[in-house]
Amino acid sequence: MNADLLPLPVVFPLGGAMLAPVLARAHRRLPLIVGMVALAGSLVVLGYAVPSVLGGSGSVIAHFFSNARPVHGAALGVAFAADPFGLCLALLTAGLGLLLLLSLLSEFGGLGHREIGGLACLFQLLLAAVIAAALTADTVDLFVWFEVAALSSYGLTGFFLERPIALEAAFKNLVLTSMAGFLLFVGAAMLYTRSGALNLGQLQHVLPASPPRIELIAIALMTAGLCTKAGLIPFHAWLPDAHTPVPGAVSALFSALMVDIGILGVTRLSLQVVPQLPSLRDLLTVLGMVSAVVGALFALLQDDLKRLLAWDTVSQVGIVVVGMATRTADGVAGAVYHLVNHGLFKALLFLCAGAVVHATGLTNLSELGGLARRRPVLTVCFTVGSASIAGVPPLNGYASLGLIHSSLEEQPVLYGAAVVAQVLTVAALARAAYLAFYRHRDEDYEDLERPHTGMLISLFTLVAGCIAFGVLADPFVRHLAGPAAAGLLAPGRYAAGVLTGTHDLAALPVEFSYGDPATIFPALGELAAGLLLAAWVVRAGAPAWTATLRRIHTGSVNDYAGFAAIGLAVVGYVLAR
Amino acid sequence: MIVANYLAAFALFTLGLLVVLGRRNLLKIVMGLSLMESSTYLLLVSLAYRHGSTAPVYSGRKPGTTESGLAHGNVADPVLQNFCLTAIVIGVAVSAVFLAVVVRIAQHYRSIDADDVRELRG
Repeated sequence: MNADLLPLPVVFPLGGAMLAPVLARAHRRLPLIVGMVALAGSLVVLGYAVPSVLGGSGSVIAHFFSNARPVHGAALGVAFAADPFGLCLALLTAGLGLLLLLSLLSEFGGLGHREIGGLACLFQLLLAAVIAAALTADTVDLFVWFEVAALSSYGLTGFFLERPIALEAAFKNLVLTSMAGFLLFVGAAMLYTRSGALNLGQLQHVLPASPPRIELIAIALMTAGLCTKAGLIPFHAWLPDAHTPVPGAVSALFSALMVDIGILGVTRLSLQVVPQLPSLRDLLTVLGMVSAVVGALFALLQDDLKRLLAWDTVSQVGIVVVGMATRTADGVAGAVYHLVNHGLFKALLFLCAGAVVHATGLTNLSELGGLARRRPVLTVCFTVGSASIAGVPPLNGYASLGLIHSSLEEQPVLYGAAVVAQVLTVAALARAAYLAFYRHRDEDYEDLERPHTGMLISLFTLVAGCIAFGVLADPFVRHLAGPAAAGLLAPGRYAAGVLTGTHDLAALPVEFSYGDPATIFPALGELAAGLLLAAWVVRAGAPAWTATLRRIHTGSVNDYAGFAAIGLAVVGYVLAR
Repeated sequence: MIVANYLAAFALFTLGLLVVLGRRNLLKIVMGLSLMESSTYLLLVSLAYRHGSTAPVYSGRKPGTTESGLAHGNVADPVLQNFCLTAIVIGVAVSAVFLAVVVRIAQHYRSIDADDVRELRG
């Protein structure tokens, strides 16, 4: 396809965001229709790019704004490039965004026209930012979309101003994300001053094999900023708070799509800009593994259903970053695939949680229960989502986790930690499903609202997606994750693509076979151990030492900023040592 | 002289960070973040300084002139100055959102102490 169409998938939702508040004055349904049309338009344009980007062994195509093509390898303007990885994420964003917008606006169709216009506007701005971040090949352009996403996320977090905790969450989100934004910006500007390059491909060419300390500090600042958006521990503190008070579809948007900006940024930085730095790889492995284990542990201890799912996002992001940091074909392909799968099942789970909160008015697991008999459809959806995360074959989590775990087999410590994280994840989700849905509850709910049609359509599509991405794992891995990994692991070819306009990738053989005993037996073992752990926690309660751990997470914004400052110091020390 | 700018930017950043870490008053936290932002403005403008170089955009020069003779003095990199303007604009927008949230917090909680605004924890 002609690469000059690449800005359109961003332009459509931006236009929709501008139109929504205006059209909402005429009729309350119009923002929904405009948003759906805009995102469907993005999806069509991106789908049109699929044959040329994902076809064959994959290729990179680039569009240069104002036709400022690079001269002698020096970029003169901003470039948008579709490599298989970016295109996968952009497609996921447009598709999931369509479903989430449908679900959100059908749930809140009763709001006033100003509110519904604002909600649709912020939602589409955030989606446009994620699509643009997936396609951009420029450090400062990445920062701009980071800020667009950040500003709209502040608005969405604090949208329901009548809930005081929404304000609290918005404030914490503002403090941590605005710090992260400025770190990213200063890092990008420092890199530009030293190397004269903003384009990722050009940066990769001009940065020497062992960069001087100032470049390393700049990379450390950028890494810290992007890790905040991704929600890696210790930069994560805004994430569980921001997910708790917002509607289910907005949490789903944050978890399934917004954190991808951070993951995408650190991935591109570590694999495509400075692949020569082993310290960055080791740092991301450690941060990712700590996030995976601690996030899953905190998820197991939560009482609020949405907060539990948000902590699980911290854990899943950690596993994805570990997979990316392995820099092996299996690990990176598994991580890309897991990122897509995480989008699907986390969106499904947050929509279910949102529907439960909407129907019952309760958020705490200790007060819920008995929904299996009263809301069988929601129960099936939640169970499919949990089983996908838990890696039950043949659902999608099984395939991607299998690939990531198999790439860690030669490092016993990492493999062990990944298994622990997975056992804790299974336990957390099993406990949530039991307490909210399967547990017996005698007294009836006061008034149990019915889920809306739009929400049901979204839920069923996501369930179908979770099953399809699991059953058809082999073609997806070979034609989607394989080329994506090929682009990420061949930085020279990506750089050539974004500097010349088009470049083919070399095929990277990645395969996934279902019945491999090295994948299936550990997965079943983790499932059994996780279920046992969940039963034990439900019966005996959490052990006392976990209360101390939770007390460290004080909820004070000063301490959260302190965690991030410690993280920044660690990242800086490890990289610029 | 430019080293002094870098040191000043670092000092401003540290001061801002100390305010964010140590003060419980939400308004002071917002001011601390503004301080951190202003340190980035200073840093960006200082990074733009190019000692003894010419303006980056021009097409050809008259015979008999030298590159350094074209720019009588030192030039600043317009890209980084542009970044500085972007940073200021974003800083203003973020400050506005910040203050709006603080006003609503003050209305709801009747307090702007960070210790009173910590229901979400653990």
